[in-house]
Amino acid sequence: MIRISGVRCRCLYLPDLTLPEGHTVVIGPNGSGKTTFLSLCAGFLLPEQGTIEIDNEPPRNRDVGFVGEFPERLALFSRVRDEIASSLRFSRVPADSIPAQIDAIAQVFGISPLLDRTTRTLSGGEIALVALATALISHPPILILDEFDSHLDWKSAQLVTTTLRSAPVRYRIQSTQNMDLAAKGDYVLYLDEGVVRLQGKPEEVFTALRDSCYFPPSWRFPP
Amino acid sequence: MILALHDIVVQRDGWSVRADARFAEGIHLVTGRVGSGKSTLAHLLAGSVVPETGRTVSEGITSVQIGLQFPEHQVTAATVAGEIRSWGLDPQVIMPETALTDKSGVNPLLLSGGELRRLELACVLRKDPDLLLLDEPFSSLDCKEKNALCHRIENRNRGITIIFSHETWHLPRIDNLWEIVNGTLENRGTIPDALTRWTGAPPLLRRLIISRMDAGDGEVTRSGCRMLDSVFSQQ
Repeated sequence: MIRISGVRCRCLYLPDLTLPEGHTVVIGPNGSGKTTFLSLCAGFLLPEQGTIEIDNEPPRNRDVGFVGEFPERLALFSRVRDEIASSLRFSRVPADSIPAQIDAIAQVFGISPLLDRTTRTLSGGEIALVALATALISHPPILILDEFDSHLDWKSAQLVTTTLRSAPVRYRIQSTQNMDLAAKGDYVLYLDEGVVRLQGKPEEVFTALRDSCYFPPSWRFPP
Repeated sequence: MILALHDIVVQRDGWSVRADARFAEGIHLVTGRVGSGKSTLAHLLAGSVVPETGRTVSEGITSVQIGLQFPEHQVTAATVAGEIRSWGLDPQVIMPETALTDKSGVNPLLLSGGELRRLELACVLRKDPDLLLLDEPFSSLDCKEKNALCHRIENRNRGITIIFSHETWHLPRIDNLWEIVNGTLENRGTIPDALTRWTGAPPLLRRLIISRMDAGDGEVTRSGCRMLDSVFSQQ
């Protein structure tokens, strides 16, 4: 359980919020506080007031995988292979076990041909996939994705969604502007002007958004 | 006004993209998978990438602008107002369009992803160049902003506009569809016929195009897919 109480941070005000385990999707207009919310959950930002606890611990005490909106800003190493290895190396995983883990995760995301390229030469979508592999390789219990899918074509986004569904991640918190993707979450938060306007299961939230462009296109045109 | 690519090959690290194409005035959409070469092609047309072979020929094009995939790469000033001035534009004019009026003194890099995209797009669109290149312009915009951008692009009414995007739904009315498949830029032709030839069409668009299904009551219009709306309104 993620418990948030009395939190103020930048534009965001969250008096009382509880998130269940599973896949939480954060949606809302540009500038509504989605990135601030995700940065708080990741422990990148500390609340100016109030508390956030993930399974009774502050986020900074937990292992968190994070892929930001500008994944090329977060890349630390020039070679893709070293970038993906970094989280294992930082946590002192035995060096001889790392290459096999890199090859395995690269295969899952279809990025094996990129391993010996430099991160600088990758396309926006490719660097996003590398960032996801880097975040996931150490099996963090918490995975935070900030509009990560905005860099991907629909086939790559579908592959990632399928892969993440079977990944052993306890909490996946993801912001997106793709409402068909949001509709597949377990729990949806609709933020607007720094507050949670709607929350609940996708059916509950999107029913309230029926007359807006936030209603998932695939629900508007069911098969 | 014409922009033509003759036997262009750009080669990188065991990867390449080929193009032999003519872009006439109007709105073009270039699609393709991650890493297929959309951004490379955008930079080639902007003149910032030189091909290994082939040549680019343009007629009547006197100004070119590109909106980059990562808008933070475009930032050159320390405030929003300064950024607008750096484009040679008047903040008084542009600020209201971006709905960032209360953020004129904020560092552009501290804006949210969508806000920064909105700022750079407002500037690049206001320059109204003969050749407008937009690399993933819809990425990180919310649906209302995507719809507003679609209108802005359609209302340009002049010059060549080329959009490079993997947006699956909030797309403008376009004149020509292009697709990069197996490293080659291919012309899928004009709308609506191009949509049936679009091999990488997003599944929902494909289903609606094939079934020619308009859910009625303006559902397509309300959903914000202007490309599809234009197809159904022709029927």
